[in-house]
Amino acid sequence: MNKTALKELLFKIADDQLILGHRNSEWTGLGPILEEDIAFSSMAQDKIGHSYAMYQILEELGEGDPDQVAFFRKAEEFHNSQLVELPIGEYSFSLIRHFLYDHSDFLRFDMLRNSSYELLAQVSSKIRSELKYHTMHARTWVKKLGTATDDSISRLQNDLDALMPYALGLFEKSPYEEEIISENIFGGEEELRSRWLELIAPIISKTELVLPDPEGVEPVMGGRIGKHTEYLQPLIDEMTEVMRIDPDAEW
Amino acid sequence: MDSLDPRIQRLDKSQDLPEKENLDQLETYEVFLQLKENKPYQHVGVVHASDEDLAFLFAKEQYSRRLTCTGLWVVRTSNVYVSLTTDNNENVYERFEDGKEGDISFEVFHLLKRGKQHVHAGTINSDDIKSAFGIAAREFGETTALNVWIARSADFLKSDPGDVDIWSTLPDKKFRDALAYKAGDKLKNFLEKNRS
Repeated sequence: MNKTALKELLFKIADDQLILGHRNSEWTGLGPILEEDIAFSSMAQDKIGHSYAMYQILEELGEGDPDQVAFFRKAEEFHNSQLVELPIGEYSFSLIRHFLYDHSDFLRFDMLRNSSYELLAQVSSKIRSELKYHTMHARTWVKKLGTATDDSISRLQNDLDALMPYALGLFEKSPYEEEIISENIFGGEEELRSRWLELIAPIISKTELVLPDPEGVEPVMGGRIGKHTEYLQPLIDEMTEVMRIDPDAEW
Repeated sequence: MDSLDPRIQRLDKSQDLPEKENLDQLETYEVFLQLKENKPYQHVGVVHASDEDLAFLFAKEQYSRRLTCTGLWVVRTSNVYVSLTTDNNENVYERFEDGKEGDISFEVFHLLKRGKQHVHAGTINSDDIKSAFGIAAREFGETTALNVWIARSADFLKSDPGDVDIWSTLPDKKFRDALAYKAGDKLKNFLEKNRS
């Protein structure tokens, strides 16, 4: 099995989950209502858990200790998409990002259940089951707010228009795309992208929202090769602030 | 003679009490969980929500974040009919008049002990809510209950059996349990280390 290709895949998945998990946790205590605050925080915690599972597999493959890998890299060493590092914005912005990202993540793990790399296939079933609720949550909110009032519809539409280029950047191809597909490690970004569009388009069409035509949108690429926005490094600094005071502390 | 209670005396009774403002809250939904396959659903609490779908989403993280769960029901609080509550172990079912069976399906929950939660007794069919209490007494009256809740089955949003896997990782999430922090052990180790 092509280890380099496999690691590249795992790193981008793990980094997306870690960064979005951290971003979404910034809503803890500030959510629109108590119940939603708890639900959103819980899902953020799940995402950090998913990234931990991925970093553990990377450790199996010869990378370092998960905490070291997660917290002691510079922004340009992160492989996450730019979508997940953007600031949380208003709640509608975070919800639309959650909707776009989580449906792709759900499908990614749905596909990874058949991975030829068995360890990954096993973990994927578990992660997929948690993401099922995450997509349920995202879908329900988009359906409600996407059909509620002029205000809620126009907010969601603006966020959808703003985030679509970033969401399409999730499917930036790996330099090892061919090997990943031919060795049945993963079905590939192209396949994931088309399954994602098939899944979200009917949900959006049941609302007053309009999904931007993906062919007319220029995807924001670069995240997978370490090109990031100005927002990532400050997030990493904040996330590791306490840990850097005493890197050897036991938690 | 006027009351000698200072709390009463200091009230300015010449003025009307200010009217209370309406609470800025969404309505409530009752939440029921099934903790294990084949166990009855039991009441766990309420959530505020604008409709059943959101109540379900909220209830899932509010009440099934830990331990185990195999199913979840929510129903709008205002759709639950509540019986009187008896004392001294008197069986409340004996207070209901007999009813007629019918075509509407109802879920029946009863409280068996004060301080416990209502548990699902079963599903019955009746024509209307009054008859439903009578049918419930006929079906479940052998058990001594102190209070009974009944709501139309159609008013519940129930988890889809195909979605049970949303709870499948709960037993792994030990980090959500205070016990798993082992704070006591850590403190003990710390103190011992500092003593020596």
